[in-house]
Amino acid sequence: MSAMMSGLSLRMLAAPLAICLAFAAAPASASTQEAIAFVETVSEEAIAIISDKSASPEEREVAFRTLLNNNADMDRIAAFALGQYLRTPNEAQRTEYRELVENFIVKVYVTRLTDYNNEKLTILGARERGENQAIVQSEIRFTTGRQPVSVDWWLVQKDGGYKIFDVNVVGVWLAQEQRSAFTSVIRTNGGNFDALLQHLRTQIGRVEAGEDIGVTAAN
Amino acid sequence: MKLSLERGMAAARFCFAALLAASLSLAAPGGVAIAQAQDIAASDGENDPLEPMNRYFFELNKFFDTILLKPVATWYDGVVPEPGRDSVRNFLDNLRSPVILANDLLQGEWDRAGTTASRFGINTTVGLLGLFDPAAGWGLPQHSEDFGQTLAVYGTPEGPYLFVPVLGPAPPRDLTGFVVDQFFDPLTYIYWDRSSTVPLIRFAVNGIDQRARSLDTLDQIERTSVDHYATVRNLYRQIRNNEIANGQRDFDDLPDIDNLNFDTNEPNTPGMRY
Repeated sequence: MSAMMSGLSLRMLAAPLAICLAFAAAPASASTQEAIAFVETVSEEAIAIISDKSASPEEREVAFRTLLNNNADMDRIAAFALGQYLRTPNEAQRTEYRELVENFIVKVYVTRLTDYNNEKLTILGARERGENQAIVQSEIRFTTGRQPVSVDWWLVQKDGGYKIFDVNVVGVWLAQEQRSAFTSVIRTNGGNFDALLQHLRTQIGRVEAGEDIGVTAAN
Repeated sequence: MKLSLERGMAAARFCFAALLAASLSLAAPGGVAIAQAQDIAASDGENDPLEPMNRYFFELNKFFDTILLKPVATWYDGVVPEPGRDSVRNFLDNLRSPVILANDLLQGEWDRAGTTASRFGINTTVGLLGLFDPAAGWGLPQHSEDFGQTLAVYGTPEGPYLFVPVLGPAPPRDLTGFVVDQFFDPLTYIYWDRSSTVPLIRFAVNGIDQRARSLDTLDQIERTSVDHYATVRNLYRQIRNNEIANGQRDFDDLPDIDNLNFDTNEPNTPGMRY
């Protein structure tokens, strides 16, 4: 009963607070404006890449890889995705993991993003988080009348500018999704890091195979 | 014939998550997931003590999906034109209104309860017994609620992960919610040749429709997961928490990533939240 009461009163307090934080656009500081500008630029570039019908899948992949390397904190993402196994890989394994994870992300998200070609991102608001992080909330509004898709960007300062750390699409943090899968592979294989490397190689192969099928079907 | 397998369930989550996100701007102030925080405090790790059994049922559901649900859903998707499928969806959604309304009220979400009641009135009459959804166009977008979410709002933790045959991901809180919702559902009390006929037909059609709506998405998730089971578990929890929070994001609740990198020597174990 007391748990219920405290749950209730907390909820009453927390709900308006959450709304304020999320929507009552606080006077935008220089930092949040920088974050918004960053997200606008990156999303426009990403949409341009996937909407470019003249580019071959390989060219699209190269462009997306460049975009990612320039604008995402790949090291931090790769480290985060290992969860409690961050210290498990040796030097050589770590180098290979870094490469595979980049490949994997490029291939997975180029495929997943094709849904959003020719769409535009609308920024809803931004807020700072701690000293060197920011969250930008946005949504993709479809010209087709489909329900908008909410996209939140978790940014972190690196080398004097914002970089992407994680992206939340309709409630799902993508790096957290990958982390749960990566750590599960290592754990179910008794802490063997090579198992994860092997799974990543296989999966990259499967995504490539899936791309080919997709291209054939579309033509 | 129960058909909604793990993917059907996952599909449902995706649909609801998308709908919730869409209704965000118009929906009333939402409940904040107290339960979410408690879940995390209570469980450091995957909280999946029955993982071997869960994985077994997961594979079993995948098998039945491959031989039965997916082919039926693909056929349905190909044969029934989109307006027809949309009307099936609208009709089923409208039938669920009493359950949503009951849970809106139990959560003290008066505005959302009003929306649900108005939607039911409008769509049942103007929308021809729910085959159409004019209410959405009049500023009353759909949202979903269930008793699992109600329990979460009052602080009930999710409990250990559970993957059950047919239903899919159903940890104790949500499994309880599923059972309780049957009592809120007028369809449960409709007697055809047997009392279970109407609810079972609804269950099957709902599963097929939701599976048909997520053919591409679920294929893509399977193709791009290094561990399909773990990915579905994580997606289930994230989407569920988002539903419980009625689409409100809690950014204070995110893991600490400040000193996260490969080079520091300090032991670093970012909290395993999901």
